[in-house]
Amino acid sequence: MSLHYTLSVQAPKITSDLLNVTPPQREKRLSGRDFSEGLWVDTAKWFGKDVCSVLENIKDISFSKVEEIRLRVGQPLMVLTPDKDYFISREGGVCSPDKAYLASREDLASALERMTHSSVYAAEEDLKKGFLTLPGGHRVGVVGETILNQGHIHTIKHVSSLNLRIARDITGQGLKLLPSLMGGGGVFCHTLLISPPRAGKTTLLRDLIRLISNGVSQLGLRGQTVGVLDERGELAGMWQGVPTYDLGWRTDVLDGCPKAIGMSMMVRSMAPQVIAMDELGHADDVAALFDALRTGVKILSTAHASSLEEARKRPTLNHLLEQGVFERLVVLSRKHGPGTIDGVYDLETGRTL
Amino acid sequence: MEILGCVGIIAGCGSLGLWLANRIRRRPVELRELLMALALLDTEIVWGATPLPEAFGILKERTKEPWQGFFAELQNRLQRGESANTAWNDTFLVQSSLFCLKNEDWQVICDVSKGLGRSDRQEQHKQLELIQRQLSLIKEQAGIWSEKQAKMWSYLGFLCGIAGVLILI
Repeated sequence: MSLHYTLSVQAPKITSDLLNVTPPQREKRLSGRDFSEGLWVDTAKWFGKDVCSVLENIKDISFSKVEEIRLRVGQPLMVLTPDKDYFISREGGVCSPDKAYLASREDLASALERMTHSSVYAAEEDLKKGFLTLPGGHRVGVVGETILNQGHIHTIKHVSSLNLRIARDITGQGLKLLPSLMGGGGVFCHTLLISPPRAGKTTLLRDLIRLISNGVSQLGLRGQTVGVLDERGELAGMWQGVPTYDLGWRTDVLDGCPKAIGMSMMVRSMAPQVIAMDELGHADDVAALFDALRTGVKILSTAHASSLEEARKRPTLNHLLEQGVFERLVVLSRKHGPGTIDGVYDLETGRTL
Repeated sequence: MEILGCVGIIAGCGSLGLWLANRIRRRPVELRELLMALALLDTEIVWGATPLPEAFGILKERTKEPWQGFFAELQNRLQRGESANTAWNDTFLVQSSLFCLKNEDWQVICDVSKGLGRSDRQEQHKQLELIQRQLSLIKEQAGIWSEKQAKMWSYLGFLCGIAGVLILI
């Protein structure tokens, strides 16, 4: 039935909405005050009337620096950059917390309504996991009161906080890193990227995927077929089947599928040479990963941990490390802004590269 | 001259009657079209989890005027960020004059907006199913009623014309 349905529905047209999404790549080329204001206006459309007018009037903070916009019921509206948290007044200026614009319950409800395009059912599964993905790959974290049904989250109501995390493309990091991720004969090694939150894991992963997929001739790396398991819709920023981010010419994306199921599906259907995924850590994912390894596919993944020692304390990650699945480990941090490479380790010899 | 005037009056009244009859005949057709569209919307929501703007875009392409315009406006409004409820009701206010539907039909049609897009798929399915059931009842009655009324108005127009001519003579 569902297959019949998929075949009978016409290919969705790319809506004008999609065309309005500013691909992050464009940000680099254009700069200046006007452009930053344009991006603020572009982002403000996801919020209700009041918050929208506040965000549209922001002039003091350059949008290119913004990492997060946070809304909490009854709390000041905040904009976070790598080095500072700003409280925003009703007029859009930076101010002290007691003069800031306080977000109301209505603000959160209307933001959620806009972010889901008035279609809560379409974001049902994501909401249960506590997030939404907007066109452009920006992720919105959602918390509130959870309703349980037989021990599983059925839905979230009375949403109390929203956190819009701006997705960005930082190119160039991957190219610097790639030579140390290659073994003898120009073969890509099984690689794990670890970092604390907000240190640019996903961004770096995206960059690496593009490089591996397109190939880098100066490194002798031929383009390889990459299968991307985009469980949370962040990596490719898929919108109606069209990826927002450039992930390379030889990349196939399985969008929204749990990694544990998706891995074997990807191996069987698309025969990738490299499988890339975000946020490995669940026991089911690890079991599926061992299955996939038997087919000779290379793994490129990220995980939450701020150092090798911390990773070893996580049972699932430790299991992977002990089994010697990964050949290279990259540790990222925020020491010099997001995306700082702290160290690259060869896990087979224990050397630092 | 007199004869020409008489013919004019009869033709005028007659065509007025025919026009009214045509409007009455269009009502069940429009209801049928909406029922088809709602069934499609239901499928899009339950099987495809398609967001409403995209779903209305599909409905727009599968329906004929005036519903096509109705769904096109809905899609535009949702893309601009309006909530489904206000978008549906406002579109009704703007476009209802283009339809041949009666107030009692619109009451049921506006019920679609209550809770549209606000709950999970099962809940949406239940609501749409209920409205489809109510609409098909209305459509059946409208079918019988419109047949009689349309016939009556198409005759009545000419008859009124003739009566007017007789009085004037």
